[in-house]
Amino acid sequence: MRWSIEHKLPLFATILLVAVAIAQLTIGYGEVRQASLALADKRLPLATKVLADLFQTGQGRVRITALAKDPAIVAFLRSGGRSGREAALAAMHRITTDTASNAGLELRNFSGKLLLRTGRFSIADSVLVSPGKDSARYGPLLRRDTTLFIAVAAASGDAERAGGGIVQQVARLSLSERTRATLTGLAGGDVTLLLGNAAGDPWTDFATIVPAPPPSVLTSRTPVRYERGEVRRASAAPVPGTPWMVVAELPSRVIVAPARAYLKTVAPLAFLIVIAGVLIAWWASRRLTKPLVGVTRAAEAIAAGNLEPRVPAGRDDELGRLARSFNTMAEQVARSHHHLEAQVAQRTQALEGTNAELESFSYSVSHDLRAPLRAIHGFARILLEDHQAQLDPEAQRLLGVIDQNTRRMGQLIDDLLAFSRLGRKEIATGLVDMEELTRTVADEVRRTDAGRKGSLVIQIDPLPPAHGDRPLLRQVMNNLLQNAAKFTRDRADAHVEVGSQPNGDQTVYFVKDNGAGFDARYADKLFGVFQRLHSTEQFDGTGVGLAIVKRIVQRHGGRVWAEGKVDHGAAFYFTLPSAAR
Amino acid sequence: MPTGVEILLVEDNANDAELTLRALKQRNLANQVFLCRDGAEALDFFSNGASPVPKVVLLDLKLPKVDGLDVLRRLKQDARTKTIPVVVLTSSREEPDIERAYALGANSYIVKPVDFEAFARAVSDVGLYWLLLNHPPQ
Repeated sequence: MRWSIEHKLPLFATILLVAVAIAQLTIGYGEVRQASLALADKRLPLATKVLADLFQTGQGRVRITALAKDPAIVAFLRSGGRSGREAALAAMHRITTDTASNAGLELRNFSGKLLLRTGRFSIADSVLVSPGKDSARYGPLLRRDTTLFIAVAAASGDAERAGGGIVQQVARLSLSERTRATLTGLAGGDVTLLLGNAAGDPWTDFATIVPAPPPSVLTSRTPVRYERGEVRRASAAPVPGTPWMVVAELPSRVIVAPARAYLKTVAPLAFLIVIAGVLIAWWASRRLTKPLVGVTRAAEAIAAGNLEPRVPAGRDDELGRLARSFNTMAEQVARSHHHLEAQVAQRTQALEGTNAELESFSYSVSHDLRAPLRAIHGFARILLEDHQAQLDPEAQRLLGVIDQNTRRMGQLIDDLLAFSRLGRKEIATGLVDMEELTRTVADEVRRTDAGRKGSLVIQIDPLPPAHGDRPLLRQVMNNLLQNAAKFTRDRADAHVEVGSQPNGDQTVYFVKDNGAGFDARYADKLFGVFQRLHSTEQFDGTGVGLAIVKRIVQRHGGRVWAEGKVDHGAAFYFTLPSAAR
Repeated sequence: MPTGVEILLVEDNANDAELTLRALKQRNLANQVFLCRDGAEALDFFSNGASPVPKVVLLDLKLPKVDGLDVLRRLKQDARTKTIPVVVLTSSREEPDIERAYALGANSYIVKPVDFEAFARAVSDVGLYWLLLNHPPQ
């Protein structure tokens, strides 16, 4: 996939939006949860307080205390008798009819013997609570099977004498859904309320009997976390004047419900916002990049050579300006391109004309100039052959001069034509074994070497192959070696060396000799056509050889230069593209 | 009409013609040479049914009226003359001329040397070869 701006922009927008949404949801959820927990921690102690107060202010203790001090009870305990008994029962009946029907009321002596009883309810033949001295006291919660009891007792009469006793009420704790509903209604809908002994079992949630909360809950004065079936938060408080405690608790699930609700409401909203943002980013990116894509395509087309494409420039913003500038630029490029093409065509035509002229010139040279020259030479020779007897020695010498000069002019014409042909010839490049080529040329040079006084040694170093046109390079090597042989002709021990050295992606080849050399001041004249630094009497030649060398090397993308000193030899250098390329 | 023509020389340049004839004469080959001064004359020579068939045609390229290459093409296209050897003898050593001449069926292409000795040697060698050594179809 190509990561163009068109794709990157919506992608970045999407990542940004998703990140913001996730951060918003996380922070919001955390805050709502924290607030819910704080609220729960305020509500729970409040609920325990309400419950504790409810139990503390129960009427049971007041009534029992009053009953214990009732004169009828006190009189019966002191004197007994049928009438006293009736009066005591009547007093007790008053209370039992007042209180809930599930309560039983007993009058016992200090040793626990049952003296009187009212109500339909009895649990045992014993005193359940040791009463306080002057007011009723609650005992711990009691459990028989699945029923919980509350016992409250008060001492009656004179405890020191035989005439005293205990008034004791035993009531079944109401474990009904209604009780629970009432209580939880008081604490606030979802709170669970528990009641039990501070010392441990039994405990109840007013519907069933439950295990006692752990000591960590009962001893803490602030709400704590604990597990009963599920994770809950609980707050405990003692009920003053009793051995009981109340606990209010909320499941964590319920506490953090608002946070969940927050997530449920806000997450889809955030999702919608992200989707909308992505769509807008995609649309904006398309709107932004579409003109850019257009400009890019047009620029690519122009770079590839098609100068026609233009881009729509209707917009008013920066992109519109870009499009207009681009169109102006494309227009200028097209205009200068056409101008250039026209110029090239014009120049090409001019060049073709020149070339045609050159061709007809060289044709004329080769044909029209050579015919009269041949005639001059031919008839001068005939004169010399057929009429020698009539010619004195001076006339014969003059005919010899004509003979020499016509030959030389013929050579000049041939060399000039060869040089001119070189400019028009196509260069065929290939791998050329320069060492083998040099050996072949050197053999030929040695074979045709004439008029030498001493010995000739041509030393050929290992030469790397070159990239070029073999027949032309052969001519280069031939001209240079012929020159070297020619200018060492007078040496007793002529020595010519052909070598090379690398130079970047080119190779420098050289031909060095120990011959006549040349004046270094004229080194740059050596390669001109018909340029000669020696007289024809000294060394023959037309002065085209090195010009041909220069032209061939230049057409190969190389260059030539020469070093030399009069009577100390010459060195000719030329560079060619290495075969390694 | 000439009889017993062995060499038909087509050459407009009088000097070249003279030099050529002299070279042939030195080898005793000049007796049966017929000289045409331009291309038209050469074509006339062959259009006359009574003309003898030469053993070789020495043809210059640059000719008045009808160009040497035209003469060559006409000769090689005609069934009666296409077996006659044609040697192009010219001053031009331009590659296009050489290629065209061979393409049209020239049997040889000789560049006239400027040097007279070399020229005389070339002409006499050509004469000897085509008249004495070569064996044409009967």
